[in-house]
Amino acid sequence: MRVEAQVLKGHLDTLLLASLEDGPRHGYAVKQALRAGGGAKFDLPTGTIYPALRRLEASGLVKGTWTEAGGRRRRTYELTAAGRRRLAADRTAWREFATTVTAILEPAR
Amino acid sequence: MTSLLIDSYVAGLHRRLPPGIAEETAGGLIETYEHHLAAGAGEGEAAHAALAEFGDLATVVGEFTRQAPGRRAARLLLATGPIAGSAWAAALILGRSWTWLAPAAARLGFGAVLLLAVLALLAAATSRHSYQRTRLAAAASPVILALDATAVATALAAAPALTVALRIAVAVSLGRIAFTTWTLPRLAVR
Repeated sequence: MRVEAQVLKGHLDTLLLASLEDGPRHGYAVKQALRAGGGAKFDLPTGTIYPALRRLEASGLVKGTWTEAGGRRRRTYELTAAGRRRLAADRTAWREFATTVTAILEPAR
Repeated sequence: MTSLLIDSYVAGLHRRLPPGIAEETAGGLIETYEHHLAAGAGEGEAAHAALAEFGDLATVVGEFTRQAPGRRAARLLLATGPIAGSAWAAALILGRSWTWLAPAAARLGFGAVLLLAVLALLAAATSRHSYQRTRLAAAASPVILALDATAVATALAAAPALTVALRIAVAVSLGRIAFTTWTLPRLAVR
């Protein structure tokens, strides 16, 4: 089952922050990381990743810098301290939410 | 190596978005296209696959527009309008401003400039598909800042007494001047 674009969009900020947890990435590498994690179930126009990264940068959660490799200029993003804190908080909130919903949908028999 | 489809999409990005944003986004599309080419797709097939994966131009430009700093700043400034307007109206009425305020022509000029600035902010705040329209906020914000500064300077220089209502109105305008000064550098998106 593919995950609905609207559902994914609601969690896009957290997914993007998580994709940068292991180190800086440029937009295309972020997209590949999301695809690698979610496989074919990741059903979101990947062009919308770029505005979301810019929004996270404006909020101070990631920091973007231009880098050049192989004659190609790319904007590379890395988590800021605020971004790491937000990711940790989002992860905790998600676990609590998932535990609650699972307990209701799949009660122990 | 690109296809006409990709070239046309990239040209559209450069036409409708600031240069830095367009370059970054176009780079992502071209890499997606090259990925499909490397996977063995033909030029046309790779272009169609890349565009399907990336999303259409209107969707991508629309996302940038809805998240544009100019649009957010315009919305925040417009939200302060009723508060500043009420504070100044109360201060001017309670302070019998008609006995000391600047000549009618100057007041009319002030009102006309304010109206134009508010219309520009409204255009920026409501834009959903045009990034260029959100940039009107960068033009209107300094005007709002200058109007606030003019109102504060005029009131402090001409008002016979600094009433409580006038102090509140001045404080509201000073707060907005601080906010606008903080926002202005952030509106220069490249």
